[in-house]
Amino acid sequence: MAKKRKVKVNLTRRDFLTLAGTAAGSIIAAQALTVGPLSPFSRLKQAQLEGDEKTGHANGAHHWGMVIDLDKCIGCEYCLRACSAVNDVNTDKPWNIVVEEKTSAGHTFFFSRPCLHCQDAPCAEVCPVRATYVRDDGIVVMDYERCIGCRYCQVACPYDARKFNWEERTDVNPYIPTWGIAEVERRPRGVIEKCTFCQHRIDAGLLGGLVPGVDPEATPACVVACPVGARVFGDLKDPDSPVSKVIANNATLRLREELGTEPSVYYIPPKEGL
Amino acid sequence: MASTTFFRRLPGISPGFLSWLSFIAVCLLIGLASAFEVFRNGLTITNMSDTIPWGLWITIDLSSIALGAGAFTLSAVVYLFGLKNFQPIVRLAVFVGFIGYTSALLTLVMDIGRPDRFWHPWVYWNVHSVLWEITWCITIYLTIMILEFFPVVVEAPFFDRWPWLRKVASTLHKVAPVLALGGVFVSLLHQSSLGATYGIVKSRPIWFKPSMPIMFILSAVAVGPALTMAMAYIIEWLTGKRHVPHDLLRTISRFSGYALLVYAYLKFWDLAAVTYYGRTPAVSKALSLLNQQTPYNFGFWVGEIIIGLVIPVMMFLLPRYNKKPLNLVIGALCAAIGIIFNRWNVTVTGLFVPLSYSPGTQYIVPAGTYTPNLIEFGIAIGIFGYAALMMTLGVKFLPLFSNHHE
Repeated sequence: MAKKRKVKVNLTRRDFLTLAGTAAGSIIAAQALTVGPLSPFSRLKQAQLEGDEKTGHANGAHHWGMVIDLDKCIGCEYCLRACSAVNDVNTDKPWNIVVEEKTSAGHTFFFSRPCLHCQDAPCAEVCPVRATYVRDDGIVVMDYERCIGCRYCQVACPYDARKFNWEERTDVNPYIPTWGIAEVERRPRGVIEKCTFCQHRIDAGLLGGLVPGVDPEATPACVVACPVGARVFGDLKDPDSPVSKVIANNATLRLREELGTEPSVYYIPPKEGL
Repeated sequence: MASTTFFRRLPGISPGFLSWLSFIAVCLLIGLASAFEVFRNGLTITNMSDTIPWGLWITIDLSSIALGAGAFTLSAVVYLFGLKNFQPIVRLAVFVGFIGYTSALLTLVMDIGRPDRFWHPWVYWNVHSVLWEITWCITIYLTIMILEFFPVVVEAPFFDRWPWLRKVASTLHKVAPVLALGGVFVSLLHQSSLGATYGIVKSRPIWFKPSMPIMFILSAVAVGPALTMAMAYIIEWLTGKRHVPHDLLRTISRFSGYALLVYAYLKFWDLAAVTYYGRTPAVSKALSLLNQQTPYNFGFWVGEIIIGLVIPVMMFLLPRYNKKPLNLVIGALCAAIGIIFNRWNVTVTGLFVPLSYSPGTQYIVPAGTYTPNLIEFGIAIGIFGYAALMMTLGVKFLPLFSNHHE
């Protein structure tokens, strides 16, 4: 039956050297062509990093975060509308959801959820092309130019915060101009999109000397639109920022904390408890 | 018909073969038409949604890669363990593997939202992502298979006119064992990490377990060689030539049978640990919901266990059945169906379970529904047509079994 015979490898030294040389050469070539200093792609990346430097989030000086007070929220959906207008979001798939919820005692409260901007973000970990990543200032952003639309991040997100562009959008946004004007472009077909904490406002605001969370022009649209102050935004690294003070003075929770995703969004539960 | 007379004059084209070719052509046409529609309209014309973003196509990817695992398993047997009498089937195994992997890549290009950016994982690296690692492993392995197979293609008489190709081929042939070992390494890596794709997703309780990669690679190692064995028999029946000794094929089926038993053993403890002893509230809730809303239990017990494990193990190992080639082929096809059931169950049913993240008691993400629609099946048919065409061409024109090696 199974007669054992060794497979002979008839390699001369010359063959071996050729082989080793080819292998080493292709590894170096692959490096140089993709991530090496001579690669055109790496130059693009460099430009992006320099851009990060200018807006001050490459050094990790800030960590942008939010507090949502479930006791104050009245479920008016202003945040949803302002967000959908400013970011020109498809109103069927809002980035920022608002739903009616019940405590275990059966009392109604309103629960809203932007992207939680996890510091250990499952979506950023699984992306095969680093089209989504956690910036040094804590914001989880999307690179729509790089996304290949594999939707793994959508599968991996524990909070359903990601939406896919299944088709070219032709819808008319009913919230424009009543709730704001579009400050960013619509996303093309075939890429994932998500809440950005209005990164365009933060970056531009910092360049103009404004303080995100204090100056409305530099603060996410949902926070500015909230009529009851249920949302507070600011720098979690600055102990004097409004958001740090609220967290210091209230019992807060984060969603699915047991997963260890370290969200940047904190919730103040209703006074009667959940 | 004029065309029939034309083909009759060509040697080697029987009416049966002609109808097989037209069947393949119809499959390919359906596939091309569906692909055109998908590229024109986007993925919105599929039944996938934000709740269930992965569907039939991912199942095809996972299954065809698993079914192509015969290539690296049998290469390992020959080149790593030195069982040289398995050599007559290695070429066929690599060819089946090549078809499996290219089918997966074709489906993947359909599935991603931006097919024009398919090359991004090669340029923009995220070394933390299992999907990035899988993309690289599959690329490398496909290259290895092409290099391994290049000498075989060049053997065809057509290439007599370019003698330098033969020189390249003979160098490549010399390094074949080294290539094969490299292939075994990257295969072990990506066949497991395809399971890890699900196993690491902590947001979904029924996926999140360390057994996922192990189950994926074990099932692939068990079923891949069985499929190669079945292909060898089928080719023998169709061409009337015995290329691979039957006792070798029976040895492969016995190997598959034992591998399936190991897989079944781990599956049993996995099931016991996850759904019985170690059941967490989230997992229990997910499973009971699956059983209420989908034929999950049926798919698991009938598709994965009876068709995918019990029947093949009986056919491969019981002396009463494993003498007849037909039984071995039936066993292999059942095992293949079982793998497809398993990959579907993992992917799609895992996504059926809605996420629950609200601090309150009421709100969970509405459960999605998903049945593949005609376009998605159209692509599946096209992929099948591609695989069938490649297999036919290979059998017709390539020396898949020639034994004058070294």
